[in-house]
This record gives sequence, structure tokens and C-alpha cells, in this order.
Amino acid sequence: MRPSATRPFAPLAGRLPALVLLAGLAGLAGCRGSGDGAGDRRTFRDSRDTYDPRSLDPALSTDVPTGRAVSYLFDGLVRFTPDARVEPALATRWEVSPDGLTYTFHLRPGVTFHDGTPLRARQVARSFQRALDPTVRGGRGWPLYPIRGAREFADGKATSLAGVRTPDDSTVVVTLTEPLAIFPKLLAMPVAAIVPDSVGPDFGQRPVGAGPWKFVEWRHDDYLKFARFDKYWGRQPGADTLIARIIPEPSTAVAEFESGTVDVLTVPEGETRSWEQTDEKSARLQSAPALILYHVAINTTKGPLADARVRQALNHAVDTRAILEQLLAGRGRLAASVIAPSLDGADTTRQRYAYDVNRAKQLLAEAGHANGIDVELWSSQDATLARLAQSIQGYLNAAGIRTKLVQRDASAVREAARNGQAQLYVKTWYADYPDADAFLYPLLHSQSKGVGGNYSFYENRGVDSLIVQARRTQDDAQRAALSRQADALAHADAPMIYLFHYNELYAVQPWIRGFQVPTIFNGQRWQDVRIDATGTR
Amino acid sequence: MLAYVLRRLLLAVPTLAGVLVVTFLLLFVAPGDPVQEIVGERADPATVQRLREELRLDDPLPTQFAHYAGGVLRGDLGRSFITNRPIAQDIAERFPKTLLLAGTAMLFASVLGIALGVLSARNPGGWIDRVALGGAYLGISFPVYWVGLLLILLFAVQLRWLPASGYGGLRYLALPALALGMRSIAFLARVTRSAMLEVLGGDFVRTARAKGLGERAVTVRHALRNALIPVVTVLGLDFGYYLTGSILTETIFSWPGIGRYVVNAIGRRDLPAIQGAVLFLSAIFVLVNLLTDVAYAKADPRVRYD
Repeated sequence: MRPSATRPFAPLAGRLPALVLLAGLAGLAGCRGSGDGAGDRRTFRDSRDTYDPRSLDPALSTDVPTGRAVSYLFDGLVRFTPDARVEPALATRWEVSPDGLTYTFHLRPGVTFHDGTPLRARQVARSFQRALDPTVRGGRGWPLYPIRGAREFADGKATSLAGVRTPDDSTVVVTLTEPLAIFPKLLAMPVAAIVPDSVGPDFGQRPVGAGPWKFVEWRHDDYLKFARFDKYWGRQPGADTLIARIIPEPSTAVAEFESGTVDVLTVPEGETRSWEQTDEKSARLQSAPALILYHVAINTTKGPLADARVRQALNHAVDTRAILEQLLAGRGRLAASVIAPSLDGADTTRQRYAYDVNRAKQLLAEAGHANGIDVELWSSQDATLARLAQSIQGYLNAAGIRTKLVQRDASAVREAARNGQAQLYVKTWYADYPDADAFLYPLLHSQSKGVGGNYSFYENRGVDSLIVQARRTQDDAQRAALSRQADALAHADAPMIYLFHYNELYAVQPWIRGFQVPTIFNGQRWQDVRIDATGTR
Repeated sequence: MLAYVLRRLLLAVPTLAGVLVVTFLLLFVAPGDPVQEIVGERADPATVQRLREELRLDDPLPTQFAHYAGGVLRGDLGRSFITNRPIAQDIAERFPKTLLLAGTAMLFASVLGIALGVLSARNPGGWIDRVALGGAYLGISFPVYWVGLLLILLFAVQLRWLPASGYGGLRYLALPALALGMRSIAFLARVTRSAMLEVLGGDFVRTARAKGLGERAVTVRHALRNALIPVVTVLGLDFGYYLTGSILTETIFSWPGIGRYVVNAIGRRDLPAIQGAVLFLSAIFVLVNLLTDVAYAKADPRVRYD
């Protein structure tokens, strides 16, 4: 035996280990560093990302963290403001031909990318091609499909993008396959951001754009770091650095906010009431209506659900007001429409399906189901959606709609819903652009069935044609009227249980000035935000 | 000894091959589709089909497997379907962070756990023993999730001594390592205590005392060393589990380790990422088990591998 092997344990043997531990933790605290955000006033710290972005390449921006980071690093021809309007970015202005088919964009003079190279019209054409190129594996070509020749290019049947011409260095002429009033909004999406010529193989890891923030560092699953781009053409952010922390657990994000180490927090639904009821905390809250619709897609091709009366019965059976109050702490507005109330075309006066169990039973009986029906209600394991599903199940059962819950992980549920396997599917829909079309086309148009977003497999020629007419109409008032009509027609058919339009609720530290809760996820680029040294806790 | 280690390493090859096949088949039968995760919420059937072809997902299963296994044999774990990054690089970035967390947690746990166990055993029924035993019960019963949030609330929000989450130096490491090690502290304390009690009643301990050795020398040199075998087993098993991803701890403390990586990959059906990570972690597990067995021989001269 070699006694020395055991010696490390000997010194401990007379002490209380717990005391050692506490002393150790207190000792660590002594070397308190830069972690305290209140003292560090040159950096914005965000806590909203819950998972690592897919990439920082605009062509790959199919998720929220990616889209948000891309909006910091890159500019498109146009972009969204925090309250979801479209404003000029790399294009200072544009003209639309009378037939609505040709858009002529005039590029902003004197714009440079972060690597110092100047912006040229050809980069616009190349950026669009890149986003459509199948070998880039982006997966989000659809915002650019309206461009003539885009589908052919994406399918490999053409070597260039026919619909984009660059007559000189500062002009881009885009020709569409059909008139499309929402086209500028599509160009404000992350996928249409403009990239420079120098796109290397690891562009997604070391991006170079022309946005207000330059890329500094990406620690995967930890944080993204950006530095202010001093040669930016537009308004300069009021801090040198922006750090986007990636915090998967909401309670942890709350703790970070409470210890002052992050500046902005998405308040978790479950904690809303406690924030609202504490004076000090409620002073930090900021809210904005989001472009998010909570609903239950009803597969209109499945058995009894093919009957509109049954679908209406489902709507009458659920007390959405109680659910909104209890499960979402009132953070939303009851829906009688797919279109978010802040958008043109929304009809806020439309009569909702009232909570009326007798009416629901009566409608079921009229449809020949006096003894009720059996349905499956699918949801993912997301905490809020799963609770919603359980609650809706209770209401449906009470109305004689015997409901079985099917809970799978998000990927499995989505696949089932896209294949038409899910009868009822509780979900949220996030608008990609601030327009009625971002709800109408994916949720209700027959072209969008399945993978396009129409999980109701809803098909109504009248609705289809109104949606398409609205897309083609340049006049805003007319477009709004057409959208409203399409929405009303579908509402009568009840292809979903209409739940609510969601409200974002943020907490913002007192030393942060000018932060506006964005209506759309990529609308807040921290440009008008300042750090106020006097704003202490 | 060397021959034994070599033999065990050779035996690991079929184990890992089995892991490769089983993971591949499981992912094939599991619902969900990586392409649906790539395209996100709104897409069109043509794009989905093109991506399936790009990623060779429509090839016959044996072809897909041969393609993947061929890459693995050449030392290439492939690229992520979702992010396009090389998987080996992803693992290389994250595994050392998990190793650091697991290593610190085990260090905490073994120092505190074994010390507590020894102290308890020296005076069974005494106040140290009762407090330690009670603490051990609590430590084992509390879920890491709850312990983690409690630690954050106390040390980050109330006292502001330490950061709540994130990756960095010792200050960032302390809380997650403590939360992760808590269960092992408790478990090790109990195992050490019972092993020590058994050993302390042995003839050789009586002999040691009889020849006039001090109590400390008896406990540490003679008893503890003999009591270490079950302790090493527990350490080895726990360490293996910690290395293969302390998913909850990494999630609560935003620790960018391999556990979160695997969970994210599974959530997005990132097939090559899941396969690569599972294969790597299986290899680590095999290695840790081997090291545990070797450690037995060190701790107990009666154990021989020949």
C-alpha cells in the first residue's frame, strides 16, 4: 500500500465541508467582474433568443434567432420599423410600373459593407440568386418566387435570374410574374438581405453585411456579439456593442434580468401576473400587439369536420375569453379573424363565435351528430400550447365532442399536420411580414395546403380568388376591403377555432431609453436605443 | 494490464458499430422530418422535394447508411443538415465545456461526498452523521432543476455574488457544478458511509488500532482505501452520465455543452448531428467505464486483469 494515495482527503477530515463551500462561493464573488450590466453602460444585452441561430447567412434565415441577427448585420432594399411599417433601406425609393409588374429600385449612394466594399446593383441580383440556389440549402425561396424566372432558377432550369436586371450600378429593375402589392414587404424579410461579393464558404459563421451592426463573435449556444458599424448610412445605435445572449430557460432569463445583467426580457406568460402586480416590476413592462395568431386548425377534409356546422360548433364550444385570461394572463385580444387587428383589412367589429354550449350541441345535432363526435387534438410539448390543448379538450368534451389529446414533440406534430393526419392542431402563426396577406395566404389559400401553412386543408374558390385579387391590387383601401371580405368568408366557414391575437410583453431596464417592443420579430435593430447613465434601478 | 486494456478497446468497436446501426434505424422510424425543420413554418412542396434530394433523403436506406458509415470510417462525421456546419467541429466546441462542468461537479462531489461519508462513519449516530444523512436524503430527492433555480435565485439574484448563467471562468462554473454535483455528493456520502462502516468493523482495522495507530491514520490509510471500491463505481457511473450531457443543468444555466446540442439536434431532426453526437458520446461512455475498471485495480490490489 502507498499511503500517500489517500493523503488528499486527510486535511479535510476535521472541517465542515459545507462551510468550505460557502466560503468558496463568497470568495468567488470577491472577483466580481464585468457581469453587472448596470455598471457596464456601453453594451446592450438581449436575452430573447432561446436557441442558437441556424446560421448568420440571410439565405438560411428560416427561424427567429437567425432572422433577428440577420436584421442587425444586413440591410435589404427595404426594412421594417419596430411598429412594422416598411421604410427605405438600401433603396432610397422605388417606382412601380402601371401594370404592377415592374419595380425599379434606386440604390442609396455611398453605402459600404462592413469590409469596406461599396454597394453595387449587381450584388442585389447575386443576393437574390444565392437565396434561391438549391446548393445553398436555404429552404426559403418563396419570398422571391414572385420574381420572373425565380422558380426556374431554383429548379436548376435556368442559370440566372431572368427577372432582375441592373442597367447601372445604382439601379435594380425587378420584373414579377404577376402584379404583387406586397412585394416590397417580402423584400424586407431576412432572406432578401443584400450580401457583398466576398461570400466565402463560412459566410454563415463570419457574415459581412451593410447593416447597423458588425459581426464580432459567435459563441454557439452562448451568445452573439456585434459592434456598432461606424460607417453606417443611417442612425447610429447608442452603444458600442450588442450582445444577444442565448438563454433556453425562461426562468433563467428572468433571473438575469432581475440581477441587472440583461437589458430586455420577454416576460414568460406564467409570470405575467406577478410582474403586473409588483409596482417596481410593472414599471419596467412594455407591451405591443404582435402579429401572432393563436388558433386550432381544423382539418376540413376529415369525417364530420368536413361539415361547416360541426366546425362552428367547435368554435361555440370553447370559452376563449376564460382561456385567454387564465392561461395567457390576458395577453391578447380575442380573435374573430385571422388578420391581426393592427393590420389593414382587419375587421375588429366582426361578431365572434360566442361561447354557447347549447348552440354547439344544436349545431352538432343539425349536422346529424346528436350523440357527439370523436376527434383527436394534436399539440406540441411547448408548455403554453400543451396547456391550451388540455383546456380546449375540457371544453370540447363538455359539449359532447369527445376529444383525445395527442401530444408529440414539435417536429413530429408538424409533420403529422402537414400530412393531413392531425384533425385538430393547436398552434401559433407568426406573420412573416406585416400584411393581411401574411395570414390569409398561408392559412386559408388552397395553394398553401400542408407545408405552406394551411393545416386546415381549407379550400374555398371565393376565398382563394379574393386573396389573389387583394395581392394584385395596388390601392390600399381596395386591398383592405378585399382582405376583409376573404377573411369574413372564411370565418363563416370556420376552418379553425379562432383563439386570440397575441400581445408581446417585455421588461426593459430603466437605463435603456428608446426601446420599442417590435410588432414583428426583425423590426427592432436597436438603432434608436440609448443607455442613460442616470437611469439606475 | 495493457493486454486487458487493448482487449477492452477492441471490444468497443462492435459496441460502437451497434450504436451506429441502432441510432440510424431509430431515427429512420421516428416521426418528424429534418427538411420540414429546415424550411420552417411556411414553404412549398417543390422546395421540400429539392432539399430531400440535396440531402439524399430519398436514397434507399442501405445506400444512405453506407454513405454515412463510409464517412465515419474516414473520420468524417459529416455536416449538420440544419446549420451546414461540420459536426466534428460542433462537438469539439461543446464537449470540453461539458467535460469542465462534469469534472468540476465530480470534484466537488467526491471531495465533499467522501469527506462527509468518512466523518459520518467515524461516529455513526452522532450529529454529523445525522445532519449528513438528512442532507443526503434531501440532496438525492431534490430535482436538479429545482436546486439549480434555487441556487440562481440565492447567489445571483439575491446576493449578486455570481452570474446566473452563461459560460466563463470559475464564477460561471460554480453554480452549475454545484447543482450538478449535488446529487452525487449525497449519493457518494451514503455509499462511503456504509462502505466505511463495513470496513471499520473488519479484523485488520482492529489490528491497526491494536498496534497503536492513531484514529486518523486508521480511518484514512486503512479503512478508506478499502472502502473505496464501491465509491469508485458510483463515481465512474455518474461521471459517464454527466459527460454524456447534463442536459437539465446545461439548460438552466445556459451552459453551451454537448447535452443541449444533442437535445436541439433531436428537436430539429438533424440526423447527422444526432448520429455523430451519439456515436461520440457512446465512445466516451465506453472509455469512462474502462477507466473505472482500471481504477478498481489501483484502488484494490486484489483486483487483477490478466
